[in-house]
Amino acid sequence: MTAPTLTVTVAKDLADLIPVFFKNRQKELETLRTALSATDFEQLRQLGHRMKGVGNSYGFAKVSELGKRIEDSAKGGDAKSIDTCIGEYAEYLSKVQIVYE
Amino acid sequence: MNDRAPARDGATAQDAYRVLVVDDDPDMAGYLARLLQREGMAVEMAADGESALVRVMTTPPDLVLLDVMMPGMSGFDVCRQLKGDESTALIPIVLVTALEDTESRVRGIEAGADDFLSKPVKREELVARVKTLRRLHDTRKELESRRLAAEVQRKEAIRKAFSRYISPRLADRIADAAGDHGDPFQGRAQRTSLVALFADLRGFTRLTEKTEVGAVVAMLNEYFTVLTEAAYQHDGTIFNMAGDSLLVGFNVPFPQPDAAERAWRTALEMVARFEPVAAGWKRQHGLDLGVGIGVCGGEAIIGNVGSSHYASYTIIGDPVNTAARLMQLAAAGEVLLCGPLYERVRHLIPAEQVKERGDVTLRGKSEPIPVFAVRAAAGVHA
Repeated sequence: MTAPTLTVTVAKDLADLIPVFFKNRQKELETLRTALSATDFEQLRQLGHRMKGVGNSYGFAKVSELGKRIEDSAKGGDAKSIDTCIGEYAEYLSKVQIVYE
Repeated sequence: MNDRAPARDGATAQDAYRVLVVDDDPDMAGYLARLLQREGMAVEMAADGESALVRVMTTPPDLVLLDVMMPGMSGFDVCRQLKGDESTALIPIVLVTALEDTESRVRGIEAGADDFLSKPVKREELVARVKTLRRLHDTRKELESRRLAAEVQRKEAIRKAFSRYISPRLADRIADAAGDHGDPFQGRAQRTSLVALFADLRGFTRLTEKTEVGAVVAMLNEYFTVLTEAAYQHDGTIFNMAGDSLLVGFNVPFPQPDAAERAWRTALEMVARFEPVAAGWKRQHGLDLGVGIGVCGGEAIIGNVGSSHYASYTIIGDPVNTAARLMQLAAAGEVLLCGPLYERVRHLIPAEQVKERGDVTLRGKSEPIPVFAVRAAAGVHA
């Protein structure tokens, strides 16, 4: 991971929505882990689908990208790939920096 | 559950464009709401299809932004239901689908969606689409209100034009009917059954001789005012006003099954309403005047009579002539009725007030006709 990809520019008028957004992403991360340990691929697919939609809308392309990978892997029943994604997601959430413009 | 982003109402003004955002994901809903609020729109949110339907039914928004993938009722179901209901079918719906999801678009079109947005939702695209739909919506509203205003204006013009001749109630009916059947005052003259009532002022000649001109005009206006009011009270139509006489028709231009009764009540009303006026004139000018009335029913012609330069919508024919003759014979405060008309209203008249005149030969008539005279003093009201 290089530093620039971990800096995300978010529109100023969304600033007050961001704390809630991140709180929900952290919860999402936990739900993903729980679903994976239960090998609930349908829930994993839905969670991935939601990440795909919401991430880019706010400007977090990485969230959407991970979401798409999770959704696709869930369809194929690929637990290993999902585990990798969850790891990347956790790291991303802990390191991402936000710049408001 | 996820925390819900605070729903900050950007525009709460009553005239703000109102959008209902339906999305089970609070971050997505919050994001969409924020973008719309930035455009000055008022936003409400619903987290599932069922509560969205309730929201739309109770407080219909101007637009619905609807997520397709929701647990429970899907966006397609909500869309189909709203578009299938007459009361909500015109509310524009934008379906929010996954990117490149052709299948969803086809299903959305089938469900009646007005437009689509793909997730991730781009700010510019959302605003552009909503604004376009808003413009369409506003244009449609504007056209509708203009159409209504034009309609109101047209009816008002008709009402104004006719209210000089007929009662306000009849003018309303004409204005309302104008859209459906055209102008009831146009068209060819036709034969129809009607009741004609003629009223004039007994002692008018003396009035004009003894009183100065200005006063005569004021008195005539007063006299015609009370008589017109009496006619309008029973929905009579005034066909002529000349000198001191007034011609009122019933069953024309609209059918009145109780035309005879209306004419009779109008006659009584005229006498009653004129009484205080006459009393005032007597005090002021020492004049003794009263209304004489003739009423007759039968077949006559109604239509525009005259030349291409001057024509009047009037009634002509035997019952009109007879009513005029009867009026001439009537004493002040007396109503003269032709035989057939009397038969139709005799149940309304106390027998002791009726004086049978026998068969009378009226001027210009070859055959004598039965005539009944009624003293229409106050208190005779049926």
